[in-house]
Amino acid sequence: MFLMLVHDVSQADRNILQGGSFIDYLMVGAKHMLTGYDHLLFLLGVVFFLKGFKDIITFITAFTVGHSLTLLLATHFQLAVNEFLIDAIIGLSVFYKGFENLDLFKKVLKVSPPNLLRMVFLFGLIHGLGLSSRLQTMSVESERSFLNIIGFNLGVEFGQVLVLIPMVWLVNFWRKRSNFQAFYFALNTYLLLAGLVLMAIQLVHYAEH
Amino acid sequence: MKRIISLLGVIAALMVFSSHDLYLKLDSFFLDPNSNSILQLYNGTFDRSENVIDRDRMIDVSIVRKGERIQADEQDWFEKDSITYLNIKTEAEGTYVAGVSTKPRVLSMSAEDFNDYLEHDGVLDMLESRRESNKLNDSATEQYSKHVKTLFQVGEQRSLDYNVQLGYPIEFVALNNPYELEPGDQFSAQLFFQGKPLADQLVYLGYQPQAVTHTHDGSTHTHADDSAHEHSELIQLRTDENGIVMAELDQPGVWYLRTIHLVESTQDDLTHESNWATLSFAMADVHSHDGGNTTYIYLLGSLLIIGVLYFIYRKKDA
Repeated sequence: MFLMLVHDVSQADRNILQGGSFIDYLMVGAKHMLTGYDHLLFLLGVVFFLKGFKDIITFITAFTVGHSLTLLLATHFQLAVNEFLIDAIIGLSVFYKGFENLDLFKKVLKVSPPNLLRMVFLFGLIHGLGLSSRLQTMSVESERSFLNIIGFNLGVEFGQVLVLIPMVWLVNFWRKRSNFQAFYFALNTYLLLAGLVLMAIQLVHYAEH
Repeated sequence: MKRIISLLGVIAALMVFSSHDLYLKLDSFFLDPNSNSILQLYNGTFDRSENVIDRDRMIDVSIVRKGERIQADEQDWFEKDSITYLNIKTEAEGTYVAGVSTKPRVLSMSAEDFNDYLEHDGVLDMLESRRESNKLNDSATEQYSKHVKTLFQVGEQRSLDYNVQLGYPIEFVALNNPYELEPGDQFSAQLFFQGKPLADQLVYLGYQPQAVTHTHDGSTHTHADDSAHEHSELIQLRTDENGIVMAELDQPGVWYLRTIHLVESTQDDLTHESNWATLSFAMADVHSHDGGNTTYIYLLGSLLIIGVLYFIYRKKDA
């Protein structure tokens, strides 16, 4: 199970997408979301703000619309972005979410945090660029029909729903317990650290290449 | 590291040739253990095969894995369009080597055709020699044979077979396992002719981002008409005094070496003799190496950090 949690472009995925069908693209998209720990960590940070069904719909829709837009358009028009830089910004988004959740905008910067919904949408756009760069790396352009890109995107959404269900359940379950504050601070402090580490790793890769 | 490896005549320019080489390649150079796959024999360029190789031309078809060399069964060969295929079944994990060696054939050419071939296939030393000795107007009768290898990775575990010498008349032998390399690493290979290192020989390094052939519903085909798949730019290298070529492989994908060793013949009925060699292999994406143990450590470390932070905050709350 642990070995599956790899956020990478595996040769197995390349093989699947060579001559792959809509379903193949859908499956690889779902797998990519389920194994993409930077996307998962960002979603975890967002989940702390989802207290009701309305919140879930609003924020997840903003994130989904954001990453779907850039995933579909950037892939279709073959917009090449440096995947290391994009992944570094995605790492930054994880850090940002932890920073915001710990109320460090007010405590450290003495300012109010930017509108969360807008930021979730903005980071959704960036996550979509990251997903697009992966898809462009994994597949041959001539075989990447718009339908296949949509398949990959739907797979991403499917994977996202699969991840969100246990995440929302876990956070809401813990919310009712007396030690929720410790759990909240521990996880969000971890998001700060993990975001910095992810960003640093990608910047090192960028410098090396 | 004490071995002196020098790269002579590196990359004066990117060169484009239309050659008639023989290559062994696969849809994917990364296979699962105990799985079926297909080796492809391309006669032409790396991107496009112009014709099949008759089985009676093949002197040797070998696969080496786990230190054992086995011969391919003639039943496992088949031809389709202009490509020759060999069904293979992988076994244990490891780095596998496959090789094909062909019988010599003789071809007579006019002076003009011969000069064109030397130029377009990158046999530049012989072309220069003909210029210097005023032989550009001489027709040629050449005996040629082709000897090709490919390295592919089965499962995760690397093995030492990558540097096996199959004993072909001319042969590239990898000096390091390409499946242990990451983009930016150096790859080196030694070129042997009649069992001895071949010094000062022109070698070309080619690259293809991804395999252009693939399988749909069990049948393999190529995108022969897709010009976007053509990648015939080659980097010119030259072996050092020990027959070694070394090059930085700067990106993941499929890489190959090719050379044509052409000399004047001492046989009465021939003017020239040539031996052709290629070696193909792939380099995994750098991200693939970030998986496995690194991810495992990352996850365990994360859980540990979250646990420690939890107890710190818990204690603080209390």
